[in-house]
Amino acid sequence: MKAKTPLWIGSAVSALAVLPVVAADHDVSVTIYANDTALIQDHRSINVTGGRQRLEFQNVSAQIRPETVSLAAEGITIVEQNFDFDLLTPTKMMEKAVGQEVTLVRTSPGTGAETREKALVLATNEGVVLKIGERIEVLRDDGLPVRVIFDKVPDNLRAKPTLSVTVNSPKGGTRPATLSYLTPGLGWKADYVALYNEADSKLDVQGWVTLTNSSGTTYDDAKTMLVAASPGAPADTNTWTPRPRPRSTLVQPGTETGSRERVGDFYLYPIAERTTIANLQTKQVSFLDVHGVPAEHAYEFRNPWLGTSEKPQSAQSVYRFTTSARAGLGDQLPAGTLRFYMHDKRGEPQFIGESQIDHTPMGSLLSLSTGDAFDVKVQPTVVKRTALGDFNWRTEMRYSLTNALPKPVAVSLLQDGLWGDSTITAESQKSKRRSADVAEWTVQIPANGKAEVTATITTRF
Amino acid sequence: MRPSFRPLLVMLGSLPLAAAAMDVIVPREGDLSVTVYRAPDRPDGPISLNNLGGFALVTETRTVNVPQGDSRIRFEGVADGIEAESALITGLPGAVIEKNRDNAVLTPAALFKATLGKSVMIARTNPKTGKVKRVPAKIRSDGGDSVLVETSEGIEALHCSGLPEAISFITHPDLSSTPTLSARVRSPAAATAKVTLSYLTRGFDWSANYTATIAADQKSMDLGAWVTLGNSNGTGFPSARTQIVAGRINHATDEVEPLDIGSPAVARCWPIGTTSDFSDQFEEIIVTGQRREAVQFMVAAPAAAAPAAVLVKLEQLGDLKLYRVPERTTLKSRQIKQVRLLDRHNIPIELFYGADLPANANVAPQAATKTLRTRNDTAHHLGLPLPSGQVASFITSNDTTVLLDEVPLHDTAVDEEIELPVGTSPDVQIKAVKEKTNVYTRPPFMAGVVRFKSSLVDDVNRIEIQNATPAEIQVELRLQLPEGTQVIAADAATSSRGGRPLFKLPVPANRTATVRYQTEHISLRPAVHK
Repeated sequence: MKAKTPLWIGSAVSALAVLPVVAADHDVSVTIYANDTALIQDHRSINVTGGRQRLEFQNVSAQIRPETVSLAAEGITIVEQNFDFDLLTPTKMMEKAVGQEVTLVRTSPGTGAETREKALVLATNEGVVLKIGERIEVLRDDGLPVRVIFDKVPDNLRAKPTLSVTVNSPKGGTRPATLSYLTPGLGWKADYVALYNEADSKLDVQGWVTLTNSSGTTYDDAKTMLVAASPGAPADTNTWTPRPRPRSTLVQPGTETGSRERVGDFYLYPIAERTTIANLQTKQVSFLDVHGVPAEHAYEFRNPWLGTSEKPQSAQSVYRFTTSARAGLGDQLPAGTLRFYMHDKRGEPQFIGESQIDHTPMGSLLSLSTGDAFDVKVQPTVVKRTALGDFNWRTEMRYSLTNALPKPVAVSLLQDGLWGDSTITAESQKSKRRSADVAEWTVQIPANGKAEVTATITTRF
Repeated sequence: MRPSFRPLLVMLGSLPLAAAAMDVIVPREGDLSVTVYRAPDRPDGPISLNNLGGFALVTETRTVNVPQGDSRIRFEGVADGIEAESALITGLPGAVIEKNRDNAVLTPAALFKATLGKSVMIARTNPKTGKVKRVPAKIRSDGGDSVLVETSEGIEALHCSGLPEAISFITHPDLSSTPTLSARVRSPAAATAKVTLSYLTRGFDWSANYTATIAADQKSMDLGAWVTLGNSNGTGFPSARTQIVAGRINHATDEVEPLDIGSPAVARCWPIGTTSDFSDQFEEIIVTGQRREAVQFMVAAPAAAAPAAVLVKLEQLGDLKLYRVPERTTLKSRQIKQVRLLDRHNIPIELFYGADLPANANVAPQAATKTLRTRNDTAHHLGLPLPSGQVASFITSNDTTVLLDEVPLHDTAVDEEIELPVGTSPDVQIKAVKEKTNVYTRPPFMAGVVRFKSSLVDDVNRIEIQNATPAEIQVELRLQLPEGTQVIAADAATSSRGGRPLFKLPVPANRTATVRYQTEHISLRPAVHK
């Protein structure tokens, strides 16, 4: 073979000794936050020679945030960090082979015989131009089979995106090192299964932490820790949405402290055993199993200001329970989804709806809506709006409530949007002002029966 | 060079199962139960198999031989739309350490990725002699969009030579052919367990399809309904107990990660140009037959009506309605199925013509809407929950059946009134005319520093109804009143419905009827300073 002038030996970095860091004895810790962020700490032994060199780390997250990478090892200083996306493809191979020799293997279509010759790659723009001896040819111009064989893969082309760190070490030797970085693509949330027993109004609740990995990489045998926190999440207090906010699930925040491990103000959910978090995997680990929590089933209907309807609308089916140690779940709940199930007549559990919950302290009172009640309906009607004078309005409201269930029910009827200075001047039953905005009537509807509430509200608008 | 798309042959050779010793694969068998829920936010109306937004709860039992110690129990053949976080496994002995759901399934592209850096065999066929030469090789790039292999001769790009080339994989990646749910279990002793597996899955929906057939005398109707349910999963559910749940429930399905069926593995070469002006940028070879298009499917025609249908059985489930299909049924993959919901006859009805008119506005003559009214109670031969769906109304006379209209119906509880539009009637025309506006000045009004002109405005309006039918008809006119406006006088019977004024009157055959009404409101306008 003739002497070559490989182009890629031009750059300073590639001229350095490249040491792929073997993943033989590595030990990964994964700390996952609730907002699709994870801190990966990769402990490995690295063997460095004295002086300046490049270390390569494979099997890091494919979605690594390179700006968060830090390598800690004794006696080395970091010169620079690179994350190389220059991937190995046939086009790249051919581009990097410009000015070099490759081997061509031709198969004769007539005889099937193979002939070999050397060729110099001249250009790869819109086609590969080769110099064979004194001839100039375009690769496979005639469409006949030609194999192109390259001698080696250029140093800076990688099969996968690869993190490389150029370090300076005064002396060589093996030492432990920790590579840590943040990556999106790993997240967790809680999933609860609540089986409601209608006969004695009790809930059995199981809690699972669900972690998902879409980071493109598998973390083998990782020490895993889940943190009930969302660091760096933009505070949504600045964004004002004119739409009515979703109904709050937390009625009364609790004041009890749980027994779980904490760091700062956050609860930690360690996974007891080392586990392999495969790419594109959903993994669930149990963290809560409580039986016989007293729960209350109720109905709720919230009417917006001047809400009127030609058709009856379903009330919401609501379940209330507490997370206190004494008469409830006895745990703080990480944010997630609570799915309600109920036994059908054959004793088989059936899904009856779900509700999102936020990070909830222990001792809180929760009120979760599972959906619409088929048989309990409310028809709100603005009967009359009269201008009593300038900026003085009288609104007569009628709420017709129906219950097609064979048992009496109580509906919490809420009239929203009252502003502060409106007054209820007449009403068919006494209301409770939950806040300046909301009046609440607790309406009893007999089995297969009806009820009606009327109210006259005086407002400035 | 013409564009050429050739399938790259992927040969799986003899596959030693690389599964670890403690892997227990549990195939599907035993009892299946499927409960279908409608899409929570779908408006009332029909469903389309191309876009099923509902979901289902699948419950099944399987028998598992659990070995002593640590093992991984793999439940193969769960629905591809499974929402893994909802999965529940009960009945396993010992402790369940964790549950996993692997979204990566076995595809050619996944095979290339999994074999990166590992040994394979390249088989080259000599086009003349037909002789196959096999050489050991290593895959150097992952088949995302290119394949480079290393042999003892050097590095080569796969499928760029123009020779027939194929790869034989030697190692078996740890990938299942179907979506798989697995559990890591630690059992103190080997045991055979009957395990119940339940999970929610996407790709289901259902709707009620009613047919209302109005009798020739227009005094009664027959109401029949089908439950139309669809399964767009790639998984079928043979001989399943099937339930349907009516009522709107909260369920968010948007967080489900899609199944990774992989992009087609494409071996992309270097630019291949020729000296002719006909040039291709790349020669692309599609490696896989499994393409995303394969997931799309055609709408199946609804099953034909069975002559004597067995009705579903209703039971109460909390605040919802559960309908049980009486016999086990097979829910095939990508199928729409119908079961009979109800059949009721001689339901007394009332028909009227109506219009919904804005008050104090001129409305050009428009055809009246004919509406059917009845009540969902036993007196009207109904009195059962009517889940939301689509109602097709027909009228029969002299052996002819004519489709009148197709309208949505919302979830209707027992004892609720039902009103269904059954088409417009060009023979009944309704127009509105604003005849006069009177303005009476009131004392001006000060609010802070702004002075308002205050006046009382009243409007006199006329509504005309032309009846070209040969029978007396009942007409109901609903008014849309602006905020703060009251009807102060009318020469027809005035009632109120949903807080809105309603005029009810009969119109004799081939006659015109007129309704006059007067409204009043206070007008406040900032006074203009001159």
